[in-house]
Amino acid sequence: MSVIVVIEDNADNARLVAKLLRPTGHQVLLAADGESGLMTVFENLPELVLVDLGLPDIDGQTVVGMIRQQDGLEHTLVIAFTAWPEHAAHEMAEAYGCDGVITKPIDTRAFAGQVCAYLLHEPSA
Amino acid sequence: MAMNPLPSSVFADAASNYDFEQLAAIYNEARTDYIVPMPMNAPRMEAYIREHDIDLDASVVLLNPSNEPIGVGMLGVRDRRGWITRLGVLPNCRGYKGGEFMMRRLIEHGQMRGVKWIQLEVIEGNEPAHRLFLKLGFAPTRELLVIRRPPGMPRADLPYPDARMTVLTPDEVMGCLAHRPPGASWIEETPSLLKAGKLKGLHVELPTGQGGWLVYQASLFQLAHFVLNLPDDSAEEAAYALLYALHQQHPKQDTKVENIPTGDIPWHIFQALGYVEAFRRIEMVLTIP
Repeated sequence: MSVIVVIEDNADNARLVAKLLRPTGHQVLLAADGESGLMTVFENLPELVLVDLGLPDIDGQTVVGMIRQQDGLEHTLVIAFTAWPEHAAHEMAEAYGCDGVITKPIDTRAFAGQVCAYLLHEPSA
Repeated sequence: MAMNPLPSSVFADAASNYDFEQLAAIYNEARTDYIVPMPMNAPRMEAYIREHDIDLDASVVLLNPSNEPIGVGMLGVRDRRGWITRLGVLPNCRGYKGGEFMMRRLIEHGQMRGVKWIQLEVIEGNEPAHRLFLKLGFAPTRELLVIRRPPGMPRADLPYPDARMTVLTPDEVMGCLAHRPPGASWIEETPSLLKAGKLKGLHVELPTGQGGWLVYQASLFQLAHFVLNLPDDSAEEAAYALLYALHQQHPKQDTKVENIPTGDIPWHIFQALGYVEAFRRIEMVLTIP
């Protein structure tokens, strides 16, 4: 079982993500903004973090930058979770050292598989 | 300006009747499906309103017939100039000209305050908003870049700049801002920067004797609000030296630079130092006779 932290300010999206990931057996921790997201990540050292690039307190990119500099999180997968246009999202994610991008709106049938594929180091998208 | 009949099913309330939490909630909901959603919490909304001289009495919250907020639009005022920002209508309430209704109210409120010139920015690709602003008489003036750089030192393979660098004192930073040329976008104007605070500066002297400077905001997590003054014939060398020194001094901070007019900076120098383009905005202006 892996620990997954979802940093997402939209409550409906966060609930949907948690509901879709629950059957995978992974522990899912939700955070509604950048600051609480960073705290959750630093305290739980998750295997994977899904970061919405648009957060209400600290930009998602800044959150990714902080995670990438933190000792002990070198192997944590960071996936940008965003509604940005695909090209811009991928360019930004790559620049900030993300391991992948999942674009919104999510495909509810494929979403859990996409996340699990990252954990298996077999990104599907 | 000729005013069209207003839709009878919506009403505008003064934004000053709402607290920052409520304004942030309406704004976030209205922007939830935008190309680049930039949500705000209450403290961020409060800072935005304060830093950019938003007049909440002149700003509007759009209400449906049940008096529920379905949109928001804000007007900043500086002397005879206005700035429209944070405009948005909830996704399921669009198509009834609510955005146009708010825009006309904001323009009217600007006129009542003696504003002769209103500017705004629209994200490139937001065609419905762009069309609305053109319809209301706004004319595009220039394209603005929003660029980012992740934390980190300059790449090890980059040459160390051949230049003498000095950290500016707070007084020198103020002096630079006092003598900067006009033409910054609203959020990068000196009044916004002074209210945002945490300003620092670097001065570069090139071997040729030419000089340049960079004023910037350094907060805990982020570098922002760049004001660059580069010598005309050595802009690239000066920009390289200043950015190199900046990121050497602040390797842990993320960088976000907003609303740089395209063509105003040697972009390839920024790219070499790790900057990427996030998106572009189109600045538009309405002159009020």
